Amino acid sequence: MPFREKSAWIMSVGLLLGGFWYFRTVLSAWSESGQLVPPDMPSILAFTGCLVALAVVGHIVIAALAPSDANAAVDEREQQIFVRAGHYSSYVFGFGVVTSLGAYVFIGSGDLLFYTVFASLLLGQVLEYLFQIFFYRTSV
Amino acid sequence: MARKAPITNRVRELRREHGSMTQAELGEAIGVTRQTVIAIEQNRYSPSLESAFRIARLFGVGLEDVFSWDE
Repeated sequence: MPFREKSAWIMSVGLLLGGFWYFRTVLSAWSESGQLVPPDMPSILAFTGCLVALAVVGHIVIAALAPSDANAAVDEREQQIFVRAGHYSSYVFGFGVVTSLGAYVFIGSGDLLFYTVFASLLLGQVLEYLFQIFFYRTSV
Repeated sequence: MARKAPITNRVRELRREHGSMTQAELGEAIGVTRQTVIAIEQNRYSPSLESAFRIARLFGVGLEDVFSWDE
């Protein structure tokens, strides 16, 4: 398996786990208080810190297992894979952001806007990594 | 399901004819990863014109001796 495919696995799993934890925290606070709670900095910092730690440790491990792969430059096929994966995932992110802005116009909740844009960002990024994995395993 | 490219090639055959060159060695010689060489040999990826010329020159044959259009 190419180094960058392993990297995509690590990041997609990390983002899925981190996103699940973050939004479960938000939803449980919402159900307890009966209203949407504003985003709090400690949860965001915890999410970011765990994701960065997982990314660093994961990449150190896969680089140690295959140092030559880790040092290899991105080749022409990988460039196509990244461009195509980024292209498709950008539609998801864009749709999420536009929908969030539309919801803000009608509902007027800045907190909801934050959460939906953040969810769109996470989903778009996860899909970008999953598209990369898909294209690595099929044809470009 | 992997889509097969319409361009077929004899890269695997030529590699074996040239002293059983490994996929990694070929990849290093033309500037792509081993996984890309595997994808080329399995017709899952059509290389750029530059890489196609590099492969042909490496094996000392013409471009059409390596690649052909599969109707």
